[in-house]
Amino acid sequence: MASRDIFMGIDLGTTNSTAAVFDGERVDFVRDQQGATVLPSVVRIDSRGTVTAGSRARRYLESDPENTRTEFKRLMGTREEMLFPASRQKKTPPELAAEVLKVIRRAAGVQIGFEPEQAVISVPALFELPQSAATSEAGRLAGFSKVELIQEPVASALAAGWTADEDEGFWLVYDLGGGTFDASLLETRDGLLRVVAHDGDNFLGGRDIDQALSGWLAERLAEEHGVRVSRSDPSDAAIFRRLKLAAEEAKIELSHASEAVLSLEGISSPKGEIDVDLVLNRATLDALALPVIEKSIEVCERLVLANGVEKGKLHRVVLVGGPTAMPVLRQRIRERLQIPVAEGLDPMTLVAHGAALFALTSRLPARPVAVSEEKRRSFWLQYPGMSSDPAPHVLGRLTAAPGDGTEPSAAEPFAIRLSRSDGGWKGGLLELDAEGAFVTSVELLPRKTSVFFLEAFAKDGSVVPVEPRSLTIVHGLTISDPPLSRTVGVALADDSTREFIRRGTPLPARKTLTLRTVETVAKGSEGSLLKIPIIQGEFPSAHLCRLVGTLEIAGREVTATLPPGSAVEVTLELDRGGRLSARAFVPALNRVFSEVAHLAVPEIAPDSLAAAIASARERLAGIRRDAFANRDRNLLERAGEVEAHLAEAARDLAAARGGEPDSTQRAQRNLLDAEAVLAELEEERSWPELWDEAQQEFAFSAEWVARLGTEIEERHLSEAGRALEKAHQGKNATELSRQLRLVKRLGTAAFYRHPDAWFWMFDAASSSVSRASEPAKAAKLVKEGEEARKRGDSAAVRGVVERLWALLPPDPEFRRLGYDSGIR
Amino acid sequence: MKSDLAGRVASNPFLVLGITPAFSRREMEREGQKLLGMLELGMAEARSYPTVFGPRPRTPEMVREAMAELRDPGRRLAHELLFLEGTAGVDADRGEKTVGWSGAFSALGLSRWPSR
Repeated sequence: MASRDIFMGIDLGTTNSTAAVFDGERVDFVRDQQGATVLPSVVRIDSRGTVTAGSRARRYLESDPENTRTEFKRLMGTREEMLFPASRQKKTPPELAAEVLKVIRRAAGVQIGFEPEQAVISVPALFELPQSAATSEAGRLAGFSKVELIQEPVASALAAGWTADEDEGFWLVYDLGGGTFDASLLETRDGLLRVVAHDGDNFLGGRDIDQALSGWLAERLAEEHGVRVSRSDPSDAAIFRRLKLAAEEAKIELSHASEAVLSLEGISSPKGEIDVDLVLNRATLDALALPVIEKSIEVCERLVLANGVEKGKLHRVVLVGGPTAMPVLRQRIRERLQIPVAEGLDPMTLVAHGAALFALTSRLPARPVAVSEEKRRSFWLQYPGMSSDPAPHVLGRLTAAPGDGTEPSAAEPFAIRLSRSDGGWKGGLLELDAEGAFVTSVELLPRKTSVFFLEAFAKDGSVVPVEPRSLTIVHGLTISDPPLSRTVGVALADDSTREFIRRGTPLPARKTLTLRTVETVAKGSEGSLLKIPIIQGEFPSAHLCRLVGTLEIAGREVTATLPPGSAVEVTLELDRGGRLSARAFVPALNRVFSEVAHLAVPEIAPDSLAAAIASARERLAGIRRDAFANRDRNLLERAGEVEAHLAEAARDLAAARGGEPDSTQRAQRNLLDAEAVLAELEEERSWPELWDEAQQEFAFSAEWVARLGTEIEERHLSEAGRALEKAHQGKNATELSRQLRLVKRLGTAAFYRHPDAWFWMFDAASSSVSRASEPAKAAKLVKEGEEARKRGDSAAVRGVVERLWALLPPDPEFRRLGYDSGIR
Repeated sequence: MKSDLAGRVASNPFLVLGITPAFSRREMEREGQKLLGMLELGMAEARSYPTVFGPRPRTPEMVREAMAELRDPGRRLAHELLFLEGTAGVDADRGEKTVGWSGAFSALGLSRWPSR
């Protein structure tokens, strides 16, 4: 009997982590030395530099908070370092996460008999690219040779779907963790689990409830005991940590009881140190938690609506995460979403369970396959680790072609046979094709794990030893490729964007596009740097999208000076877990700049954030004045939306100044959201100008399309005209801008078909030559263009114009907004 | 117009996966998984697919996108219609007749004209 592989999945959480191992039939949860399956995501480093993690470290959260850190998941992907003053050590978030993973790895080793070398780690669906990269790095630092990532809702769904055979239809995964909220709409049909779409909030979680609760406790301290504390005062950080811990414990207690008593000893007050007892009842907790709950349900409603699924059509909701134990949360979900809550699933371990199942579907065994010392030919196999198909395909190819293309020798595999280990199924003898490959299907045991033996035979019928000798497939759900949650692209120097991989694209995905440099990258120059900012988001302006990293090509790295307009082939690639790799190939240098992505969520200083909030408030005041003057209620309501984001940003900024490390990130995020709505409102405010522009552009395009357009351009223009009118009637500035872009493209395309179009463009480009980055080169080009025009050579003139354009620098203000992009 | 239609016909998910609208979702998944496996193994047979405009290169990204398109019932219906329209009415000549200045496509924000 072939030995079974073991697969490991880890839910690396903000507050707690869990891990599971799966042997193809049974799932076991990894237990720590105390026998607990839930391991606190806490790390402590004492004065001797000894590192402890998990429940042993959690004990010191209250007594030694300076040297005991938690919630570092919220800082993954940032450049933030956490200080441990007793040992004078600084650790990055991936280093701290790695300590938690090491404890899990050791505990798993005790349980399964060897320390796992490969595992799947879950990440929130809306994790941005730097956060995913940091999670992979944590796995590597913990000693895993290979780590794959899975989106948390996919893992939950896989675990929930695995245990419910009969479920067909749409369902929702509601995952409220300590620091993040994910909502996912899924569909199970014909044994296929499909993620229809995601939504969520990377900065909404149980911690927000704890903070509301600790704020309430601070108010009680002030009212009842005269102790005044403020989140923005760094000297109060310690008491707030204690309040938060007390709040966490009270919240758990109130999931079962109607009242909890919080005892805080040794609180500094005007009367000296006092002991305080505060009583908290469930009604108060519910009232404090409701804003977070309602916000999360709004996300779910938005998700369901955006995908055209009626509320009543949802089959059930699967709850994941510690905070979902709150009775009020379950009640509000039932009431507002009108869906039954799936019972019998443990919200704390579901993600780890699903991650372990995914390790099997990805064929990532915890113990890599041992290489036999015996000389064997090797097959590279492709098959699903788990499949709903009772007869899935198995494909294989010899890793080196048999022989030298002539007749296979006696020792070469000529044919193969697959047979199930229980003897219940045996495939026919299958000859390898000219490429040394085969394609066949196997029969699975229903709802069980099937192990198949692979045998190879030479032409004379003798057995040829081959690797691997067996393969394992589980009959269960087939999981479809997860969709990308946010569009990934690059910012261009004019603050526009170039989309690479669109939201909803199935992962893994890869795309290469050729871009052009806007200025010289001087060979050997320290100050010369080409930046290619990588962004996530769906806005047409780069500055409204989130910067997630930057590809950089420095002058000191290039072997020859790159002139403006040089081609750079940029490739962005995302794996199934949303992990990004980026590279740039510069044909002029014949060199690939790989691993040049500096993936980190950029950090803005608190003072700059404060200035940005103040500036946004000023712009908002102007919009409000107009709204009042024009009695525009809709505009006023939208202005309220901006104000809410700005107020949250200001609150987060105050907390950041008080020493809460991830609050700067939250403030930045809220500011970006406010900016996006502000940009829309400002467009609406300049409605008359926008409509004028639309009419003029339409007239220009209509003329050119009528003269030189194709049939399809005429049709598209006519459709765009109707859409423009509709947007005008509905006063929808965003849609008007979108249609306007299409109209411009259609008109431009037709315009360039005119035989003199490039001569006219040459005149325009020549008149701007004084702004060119290389005046001598530009003057030479103008001369070349004039000669080409005399000859009537439109193609040559076009070449000149394109080279002239490459020499014209972008507007500095647009370039600044476009994250200093050096490409167009 | 015809060139654009030709491009859409040639990249129809049914063609990319080498199946017809008669295939069920389960059968579509089977074929898609098989093609992904063949492409991963570098098998020559999977690297291109036939269209009325001649063979087109096939990549794992195209197969995944085609599978995602056909998993959505609404989008599948649209592709079924285009598949039937494309295979019934479009021929190679019609696909090439209206090609204008090649740079216009980039001006339209598209990467290239559909070609044979």
